[in-house]
Amino acid sequence: MYRYFSIILAAFFIITGSGGSAIAGEKLLVAVAANFILPSGELTEMFQEKTGIPTEATYSSTGKLYGQIIKGAPYDIFFAADEKRPNLLNEQGLCDAPFVYARGQVVVWTANTALCGASTWQEVVKNPAVQKIAIANTESAPYGTAAMIALQQVGLWDTLKDKYVFPQSVAQAFQYAESKSSDVGFCAYSSALSDKGKKGCFYTVSEAPPIVQAACILKRTGNRSAAERFVAFVQSPEAQKIKEKYGYR
Amino acid sequence: MDLTPLWLSLKLAFMTTVILVIMAAPLTYLLVYIRFAGKSFFEALLTLPMVLPPTVLGFYLLLVMTPQGKIGRFWEAVTGSPLIFTFSGIVVASLVYSLPFAIQPMKAAFEKIDRRLLESAYVLGLSPMSAFFKVVIPNAVNGLTASAILVFIHTLGEFGVILMVGGSIPGETKVASIAIYEAVEALRYRDAAMMCLILVPVSYLFLLLINRLTKRQIYGA
Repeated sequence: MYRYFSIILAAFFIITGSGGSAIAGEKLLVAVAANFILPSGELTEMFQEKTGIPTEATYSSTGKLYGQIIKGAPYDIFFAADEKRPNLLNEQGLCDAPFVYARGQVVVWTANTALCGASTWQEVVKNPAVQKIAIANTESAPYGTAAMIALQQVGLWDTLKDKYVFPQSVAQAFQYAESKSSDVGFCAYSSALSDKGKKGCFYTVSEAPPIVQAACILKRTGNRSAAERFVAFVQSPEAQKIKEKYGYR
Repeated sequence: MDLTPLWLSLKLAFMTTVILVIMAAPLTYLLVYIRFAGKSFFEALLTLPMVLPPTVLGFYLLLVMTPQGKIGRFWEAVTGSPLIFTFSGIVVASLVYSLPFAIQPMKAAFEKIDRRLLESAYVLGLSPMSAFFKVVIPNAVNGLTASAILVFIHTLGEFGVILMVGGSIPGETKVASIAIYEAVEALRYRDAAMMCLILVPVSYLFLLLINRLTKRQIYGA
């Protein structure tokens, strides 16, 4: 009995001890909105190679990351999918002045190639064969809000009301459309450019306002110089190329 | 505050409970009284939803419930309407998700029934079918009630699976747990707190009821 107990205890210390080797504050912790996952992976890798500063990104929805930050999560920089959340943090004195790091675009994407002959996105969503339309949560997901604005502007929002499905994020909207759970989805241009996205077709929704994505350095950072270098890197022409490759401007 | 999600959660929990108790009773009877090959494999399979992360379960359900998936196609052929992103869809998902919670208390109750009672029933000429209705069910009422209540609160608190297959359609699949999640995401903390405030005492009361029922089963009679 004692034997088992000591083995379990030893295992416990090995497991809990192994993660604590890096000294807190040395590593740059970046909180990134889920839609930016692909460019962010490439950007952090490049940054690490150039500067030798270990950088780790955490991905979640903007709303959730915001909630974690106001409760004291130990991030150094926050890359949101909107301007609202960084501005709110700034107003509360939790982060520096926000800056825009990327602009996203809403597209209508479908895996059903029979719909690909249409000439506009309105034609696609109005097609009677379309039963379900995925739109990211219009309240918390910026891409959802932008899609709703576009639909309202062309006077289709109420007409199509019975066909909407509301996934939690723009990534889930693409997943629904990609798995054909929904016929079409209001997705991010970056998803349409991905390998999976190339299997269907997309239409740019020019009526949707661009998704302005802002970031800010959190006041609590113990790593200000590294954070500032990262921010400068993200805005460099070199980083711009990576962002464009993934469908951001 | 919109009360529709709470009402929808109650409706979902109620429907799931009724269907599942009816479904689980014969299954449990099979597990307790009938010998067949591969029984332990079958039982482990039925218990799997209890230990799988709801996201894993939700992922598989999403795949089979789409109009291209096996269950989705079958459903559409029978009813003429798609299954995914509908209320029926989340009922189907809940049935799978809560199945082990229906079986476990029932199994405990069935196992407690004196075998001699059943043997006398057989000697007196009752078929296994009528023995099930006339002997097993009346002697396991507390177990059946416990399992019904457990399924009810478990479904009330269901989140991950519905997040994957529901699609958050107001009045259709946007249940309380999803509405709370969305309220928090949208920084509507007041709404979230209000809905939580209603859910907590409801769940607590039902748990209290289960404890009472199972206790009586042990010390009573």
